Amino acid sequence: MNCLEVQQALPEMMDGQGHDDLEYQAHLKTCPMCSELVAELELIASTAGQLAEADEPAPRVWVKIAAELRAEGVIRDTEVAGRPVLVPAAKRRWNAWWLVPVAAALVAAGGYFIQPRPAVPVASQDAPGVTRTETAPVVASNEAPRADKAVAAAQNQKSTVAAARDESSSNAPLMTASTSDQKLLDGVSPDMRSAYETQLRAVNAYIRDADAYVRRNPDDEDARQHLMDAYEQREMLYQMALDHVQ
Amino acid sequence: MQRSAIAGLVVAACIVTAVSAETRKEFRFTVGPKANIVVDNEYGGITVKPGNANQVLVVAVIHSDKVEVDNSHEGDRLEIESHLLSGADAKSGRVDYELTVPPNVPLSLRSSTGPLSVERTQGDLTLEGADAEVNVRNVSHCHVHVKTMRGNINLTEIRDGHIEINSISGEVHLNAVDGPHVQVESGTGKVFYDGDFGSSGTYAFTTHTGDIEALIAPDASADFSARSMQGSVKSDVPLKPKEHNRFPTELGRSFFGTMGKAASEVILKSISGTIHLRQR
Amino acid sequence: MTDPKQAKAAEAEAIERAKQGDEAAFEVLYNLHKRRVYSLCLRMVSNPAQAEDLAQEAFLQLFRKIGTFRGESAFSTWLHRMTVNVVLMNLRRKGLPLVSLEETLETDEETPRKELGAQDMKLTGSIDRLQLQRAIEKLPPGYKTVFVLHDVEGFEHNEIAEMVGCSIGNSKSQLHKARLKLRDALKFMRAEKAEKT
Repeated sequence: MNCLEVQQALPEMMDGQGHDDLEYQAHLKTCPMCSELVAELELIASTAGQLAEADEPAPRVWVKIAAELRAEGVIRDTEVAGRPVLVPAAKRRWNAWWLVPVAAALVAAGGYFIQPRPAVPVASQDAPGVTRTETAPVVASNEAPRADKAVAAAQNQKSTVAAARDESSSNAPLMTASTSDQKLLDGVSPDMRSAYETQLRAVNAYIRDADAYVRRNPDDEDARQHLMDAYEQREMLYQMALDHVQ
Repeated sequence: MQRSAIAGLVVAACIVTAVSAETRKEFRFTVGPKANIVVDNEYGGITVKPGNANQVLVVAVIHSDKVEVDNSHEGDRLEIESHLLSGADAKSGRVDYELTVPPNVPLSLRSSTGPLSVERTQGDLTLEGADAEVNVRNVSHCHVHVKTMRGNINLTEIRDGHIEINSISGEVHLNAVDGPHVQVESGTGKVFYDGDFGSSGTYAFTTHTGDIEALIAPDASADFSARSMQGSVKSDVPLKPKEHNRFPTELGRSFFGTMGKAASEVILKSISGTIHLRQR
Repeated sequence: MTDPKQAKAAEAEAIERAKQGDEAAFEVLYNLHKRRVYSLCLRMVSNPAQAEDLAQEAFLQLFRKIGTFRGESAFSTWLHRMTVNVVLMNLRRKGLPLVSLEETLETDEETPRKELGAQDMKLTGSIDRLQLQRAIEKLPPGYKTVFVLHDVEGFEHNEIAEMVGCSIGNSKSQLHKARLKLRDALKFMRAEKAEKT
């Protein structure tokens, strides 16, 4: 085989298919140009495999999925909904998640309408719902008209922060941020408790400040982004505490 | 035997006992080209340096018998974990690790107390430490993700990085760091940047109350937008004005402008921290 | 320590609880697979916002049907296939070609490929993954589809042919052309960088 023949045959020969072709192998052994070409193409292919899990989606993706599943009734209230579920584990793991639903719901509370029901975990007293102007998936209740109204309001791209607050304040009391904070602190070791307490105060202050700014400037995108960042820091703190749980 | 000699022997025996409570263990693993390494160490430091292409060497200094080192090597994934036994605390549960790894291997390191140190590698880094100080030096062409609660974060000589840092109250120091994407979020900790913001890329530093300070080279080429909602902003660097700005102009609370060819985009935002741009 | 058997058991448990509507279980499943799904979407459409939408759609489709999952194949395989379908449907809706129309490899050259001028920079050692990502983004849609499905995601040519509606030979030739284009792009980037330093 000459170089042109080898290069024309490459689609069939690469990825191990040319392993038993003696003419092909013989040419590669004697032709530095073709063997370099094959080596480089193989290097590209093997490096590409490392990209399979290279990226992580933003937390808002899960928040939107959960909201949609609620709206469709795929996620349903269960008997233990509203309380963090302790998963006993023989060993601590990177992904212990007994408080993650609480933390994720807190992130949702910062960015979306909350349609509270007695069994649903978490709305923060510190940061009532804020509408994002791009889309506002609704954490659904059984009241479809209310959900439709919320979606329509979001699609009009108008902030309805005040409306959301009025609605949520009239609903039944829910597990508050301070209750879930207390559960988090109860789970960490005594030597780290004071550190987590201080950091919780810091992130809650961030949430309060950002929320106050959003109230005064509902059309200010930076303010809303600060509020989302503040909730993400809170979720990060919860995740760290999970990794530290005794 | 004299009493003093006996006392001396007893003291010596205690020292030996104390020293011998510390154990050093070594592990060697052969790994393939798609390997990834996870180290989960509640108490103690983790230091990583590059070594041979397919060998991982782990040296663990275990400080008491209240902690064990577990390891698991399944397929491409190598996991090292400090397993705390009953009664372990930050002192007795401490293990310090030194790893020598293939340069391109992705690493995930976690420690509550740290420190975490990585240098001269090229694989993606995911570093998490509650109180751990995190130091990354001389890495390139990789993703660097760092999260701490109050541990300080120091990144030095990072080239072509895709960097995401999030700390609640740790200070963040970036020295000669550039990349297509550098994102820092800090709550109360200060963010300090010393460099030229690369030849292109997006740099976004956001804080709650932490101050943001950037010390930039005179030949930097960047498009700056800075805003503090309640804090003050200041630029000692002469900037060319821009026509279209990211957010509303407010005297003393925001500034905008370009340097050089505005190759990079730099966005500095804070709720109440101060923002200060200085020239080296 | 993550024991693969334990991880599989945990996933199986989460699937059963998700069938009962347990939100925490859905979140476990999401966290286990989010990187794979999102990375696949991002490689195919090169736009993070679009990739997020597609990843969201893939998970929603999967979670809506979780009641029908019987465990005949691995959950991850099911999700993987569903994600590819979502992305390909999206590309079809936009009228973007999934594969190029040519059936066989057509070489434009009468002579074998040679290194030319400024592109004379070998790809040795390792490839900068960021540069590779950028180069993949710039591939024509048809080449990108086959390259991502084969080299990034690990599908075989017969699977790709079935998914995108082409022949196995076409899939192989598209892949080869994609790799050649990436090789040229990476060498060009290296040459550019070398000139700047």
